[in-house]
Amino acid sequence: MTLVHEVRQDNGTATVRLEGRIDREALSTLDAAYAAAAAGAPSVLVLDFTAVDYINSTGIALIVGLLGKARSQGRSMRALGLSEHYRHIFEITRLSDFIEIVPTP
Amino acid sequence: MSDETSAERVVEAGQAAPATQVDEAAASITPRDAGNWAAKVDRLSVADEVSGFGYNVAGRRVAGPHQGFGRLWQRTYSVDLGSAVGPQELVADWRAHFGDFWPKGGVFHGALTGIEPGAVAPLEVGGGRGPKLATGVLVLYADDESFTFMTPEGHMFASMITFSGEEADGATTARIRILLRTSDPLFELGWPIMKRAEDTFWSGTLRNLAASHGVDDVHVQEESECLDRQRLWKNWRNVWHNAGIRSAWHIVTAPFRSQKSATGA
Repeated sequence: MTLVHEVRQDNGTATVRLEGRIDREALSTLDAAYAAAAAGAPSVLVLDFTAVDYINSTGIALIVGLLGKARSQGRSMRALGLSEHYRHIFEITRLSDFIEIVPTP
Repeated sequence: MSDETSAERVVEAGQAAPATQVDEAAASITPRDAGNWAAKVDRLSVADEVSGFGYNVAGRRVAGPHQGFGRLWQRTYSVDLGSAVGPQELVADWRAHFGDFWPKGGVFHGALTGIEPGAVAPLEVGGGRGPKLATGVLVLYADDESFTFMTPEGHMFASMITFSGEEADGATTARIRILLRTSDPLFELGWPIMKRAEDTFWSGTLRNLAASHGVDDVHVQEESECLDRQRLWKNWRNVWHNAGIRSAWHIVTAPFRSQKSATGA
């Protein structure tokens, strides 16, 4: 399934709900999602991975790039809804040093 | 009684699920791509047979682009191979003979088994026959159509490098995508020279890869984009692990180490 997104703005926090796969095909969707989220000038960007069923290493690289953009604009990032497997991947790649992993409510 | 009958009896008794159901349950817990990723390690270790080249890798942590110092760059090199080879065949060959495609000046001390997730491979880079800078990579991810390296602390770049075979309209493209920051202020000073060396090195790699599949005179397409212009000054201390300085020190002190081991001190 290709990646789709939905952005919600709430009090300085933009939440991007992602659904599908994050691989090389996801580049344009992630760019569009970031642009839509940044339009509200949020200080915090939350990526909601609850409905993401697959991320490969190209997808991780896209998230690294997204983090670079967010940090360069003074935004912090959080990750919501990561499965244990992908939490582990965020730790191996040391993305978790910069993206706060929020437990699924 | 056959094993099959035995399994059926167990299920009827409600004591355990048959093997197929157990496998399905396990699969729902273990993601299908789990085997493509390296296991988490705090510090890298180098296999005994290549440990002589791994002095700047053993004991280091991996360093992704956000652990580096310089500007964040995304650099892409790609070459069109037409229908000469499919993506999976291309990547299988690339994984099996990775170092063989490197241009002169680089030596990759990978395992004989090729590129496998979790493998740590020392490498040496440098021009000509002079001293080389020793560093390495961790194979973060590998599947049938791509594989990804991360670099250790001290490497010239804090980076993530993905090599892939991609198909579009019946043609295969070999691609190298690099997300990087220079690791420390000294390497950042050398970036104007290093980026040209990178272009030459990876373009040469793709030409060699193409030639091995019978595709000559290829045009390597290069793209470069700066994703973050800020330098991460809080990471200036990365210079402590600088593989250039440590390689030079290793070479200078080699005679003393030989003397020490000869005298058994």
